[in-house]
Amino acid sequence: MTAVLPIDTSVRDAGRAAGGGQLIALAAVALAVAAFMSLSIGSTGITLTALPRVVGALLTGASDAAVAREQLVLLDIRLPRMLLGAFVGSALAVSGAMMQGLFRNPLADPTLVGVSSGAALAAVATIALGNGLASPWIKTFGVYALPVSAFAGGVATTFILVAIVSRQGQLAVGTLLLAGIALGALSTALTGLIAFASDDRELRDLTLWMLGSLSGASWPKVLAIVPFALAVALVLPRLIRSLNGLLLGEAEAFHLGIDVERTKYLIILTTAAAVGAAVAVAGVVGFVGIVVPHLIRLIAGPDHRVVLPAGALLGGALVLIADVLARMLLRPAELPLGVVMAIIGAPVFLHMVVKRGAGGV
Amino acid sequence: MRALRAGAHLIWMLASALGTAPVSIVPAHGADVVVTDAGGRSVRIADASRILAIGGDVTEIIYALGAEARLVGVDSTSQFPLEALKQKKNVGYMRALSTEGVISVNATVILASERSGPPEVVKTLKTTSVPYVEVPDDHSAAGIARKVRLIALALGAQAEGERVVRQVEADFAVLAERTGQIKRPVRALFVLAVQNGRAVVGGQGTSADAILRLAGAENVAASVTGFRPLPDEAIVELAPEVIVAMPRSGGNNAHDVEQLFQLKGIGSTPAGASRRLVMMDGLYLLGFGPRAPAAARELMERLYPAPAGPNGTGARK
Amino acid sequence: MLEARDLTVTVNGNTLLRQVDAAARPGHVTVLIGPNGAGKSTLLRVLSGELAPSSGQALLDGRPLAAVPAAELARRRAVVPQASVLTFPFTALEVAMLGITVPGFEASNAAAARSALEALEAVAMAPLADRLYVHLSGGERQRVHIARALCQLAAPPSHADFTRCFLLDEPTSNLDLAHQTLVLDALRRQAARGLAVLAVMHDLNLAAALADDMVLLVRGEVAARGSPAEVLRDELLSAAYGCQVAANRVPDGGRPYVLPPAAFLQRPTPVLSRPRGGNGADLSATGHPTQ
Repeated sequence: MTAVLPIDTSVRDAGRAAGGGQLIALAAVALAVAAFMSLSIGSTGITLTALPRVVGALLTGASDAAVAREQLVLLDIRLPRMLLGAFVGSALAVSGAMMQGLFRNPLADPTLVGVSSGAALAAVATIALGNGLASPWIKTFGVYALPVSAFAGGVATTFILVAIVSRQGQLAVGTLLLAGIALGALSTALTGLIAFASDDRELRDLTLWMLGSLSGASWPKVLAIVPFALAVALVLPRLIRSLNGLLLGEAEAFHLGIDVERTKYLIILTTAAAVGAAVAVAGVVGFVGIVVPHLIRLIAGPDHRVVLPAGALLGGALVLIADVLARMLLRPAELPLGVVMAIIGAPVFLHMVVKRGAGGV
Repeated sequence: MRALRAGAHLIWMLASALGTAPVSIVPAHGADVVVTDAGGRSVRIADASRILAIGGDVTEIIYALGAEARLVGVDSTSQFPLEALKQKKNVGYMRALSTEGVISVNATVILASERSGPPEVVKTLKTTSVPYVEVPDDHSAAGIARKVRLIALALGAQAEGERVVRQVEADFAVLAERTGQIKRPVRALFVLAVQNGRAVVGGQGTSADAILRLAGAENVAASVTGFRPLPDEAIVELAPEVIVAMPRSGGNNAHDVEQLFQLKGIGSTPAGASRRLVMMDGLYLLGFGPRAPAAARELMERLYPAPAGPNGTGARK
Repeated sequence: MLEARDLTVTVNGNTLLRQVDAAARPGHVTVLIGPNGAGKSTLLRVLSGELAPSSGQALLDGRPLAAVPAAELARRRAVVPQASVLTFPFTALEVAMLGITVPGFEASNAAAARSALEALEAVAMAPLADRLYVHLSGGERQRVHIARALCQLAAPPSHADFTRCFLLDEPTSNLDLAHQTLVLDALRRQAARGLAVLAVMHDLNLAAALADDMVLLVRGEVAARGSPAEVLRDELLSAAYGCQVAANRVPDGGRPYVLPPAAFLQRPTPVLSRPRGGNGADLSATGHPTQ
């Protein structure tokens, strides 16, 4: 046997701008900074320096109007908003990564399984039928009628889709894609029909909801999404190896010992839950699902051991920063979050598409 | 002084009995006022020195009451008078409010139209220590009186409020007399906007419907509810004699007029054939603030431009 | 032993395989040859557990493949596909490392990278370890997948007595002469380790150089079976391929002919004592061909 060269495993990082661990750490820092900014910046000018006063007032029970105001802003407006924003960003980013693994295409989007269009359809129906068919619904759920509808619509659409496509317990990904597009088109058509039958005010509300916003953030909503965040966080680590193998192809993944059908179902259900909850609390926010996983792959490669955690952290950071811009650019008015996200995301997405066309990945 | 107060008190009670809103009064000491707003909530206002107005009609009323010096913020629909948006802070579109944005204006009282949103933001704003008064969204003559009285009471400007209400009611009375003499109401169609090549018309229950009727016209679109887009055939069937529309702010009026008549539906109506169009400012026509009677009168005069006044028939062309 | 017994596969009304008996024995290289559409790839897919037979049995050590869970199967056989589409920015090393995703084989990142790099060396891809897979040529990609399978097989066996299999579909179709030799040598070494190697090959000369046993498939049926000398006969091949095939004859008129280097390689003798490395890998499977 001839001499074997000493194997230097750090060689493998030469082609990458950063190692996986470094990127995850960086993403964690980014999220921390974004969270800090989200809590500390706002149109009232109140910063986190007020926090000691607020905590003191909570503990002693004594407060005056100024501290009460600070407490309201920091604890009842900004804090739930920050938590929801971080969740929405994380959920959309990891769902995007999972969809891209499922369809083996870096441009796949969490909306491809019909979650967003189904959620939008349900939301539109709730807004439009608010005075008619939907009024008992609204009476039951009050202010939360819209988020509940959106979530139910999103998950229902995904279930319908999976039921249509699965055959003897098998899910054909190509068929899933086409069926998802078809179902999405159907939802859009129905949405259009309802919009057509709506009056002007309802139409405006619809349009605003579709543009995405965190302005309705509240503690009950935060509590509502906690089970979804936990469920996703529990499922994701188990999916990492399967997702990696799945990228090679279904047959190859099977040869590597991965339970392919179970993985596919798990991906779809987790995405439906995560995206359904995100759309329910924030409306339609685009681009995070594509841009964030892509950026991470560009920097540290497609290994899901990096893409999923870094994606969750970076997605959260991105949404929080977009939200700060949304709140501050036109203060005291507020831009819709989806609009700011699109302004940031569209150029990045275009760049991705162009580069891909030129042979890049 | 006390007699005046008692007398005013009596008039208010009578007036509120005549009006439809249960506006209740607690005899006030100092500046504390308690009102019952459009949502039935009892709101106590201790300090009305910094006002945030949400809703174009609310802002108009505040200016009419002479309280604009105390106004610190308005919403984006507050387009009259022009100084409102120029001089005061703009909290954005009334149905897309930002909780912290509203709080940052530091108002001591918030007067917001019932139409404000989103619901979660309104809910939170009602829980803060700043009094939030919901102003009814009511497009009728009596509705204006309710709005004015509620706002006047909240701001401690009851005397001015009554003056405004009296003027409004008097103007409406004169208008009613004139429209009562119309032999045949003109058939009018209100076009809010053109969307995707379709006209959005004002149907039953809208402010457009209300102003048309106040001006003595017949709303041909009364068979639909709300502001809705209508297909061409439906518009042709309605056969309006005159179109009432609003100019776009900053838009090219002549171009808009052309665009309107080029729509197949409208072009095939009697209004389209004779190109009868009345263009008036949107907030003026639909706001149902203190200018409403003037708007209705002007609309009536333009709908019935008979030289002898409206005791003849409506102009027929 | 990996066996097909009386195997019939019918898909959409088309019978792709008809009552096929075939076997891959541990320590031997079995090559499937035959014209296009003969069912070679289908047979390979059934024997890898990917496709279920319509009738008959596919058995691994006497146990039906369908009864073996995917995770356990992955510890006992590796598959190199004919073609693989991968649009994500993996490096060659990372693709090879995916072989370590085999469940149960928990390796540290460093150990995994080492194993993958060794596998890449065996197919002369080590210098390109950091190149993005999507930037590789067809032949280079093929070698990366072979390395991935070698990595998978480097994991220690879950049970010493179980047969382990190496299934390949056209492993040399895109390779130049030198690399063909390298790959065939790697396959023979795996057989020498005791694995059952089963490969589908188009090139009859390479097949002859590699195989211990050959199976000739024609239109879904076994037309011939045996050693290369027994199968590569004029009448059998001519009937199978539908054209005049002459085996073991020098062309007329002094026209040159080229035998692949693999034809001259000796088979490595089975190693009696097997040195093992720190991670349990069989170190006799690495290094260069013995002479």
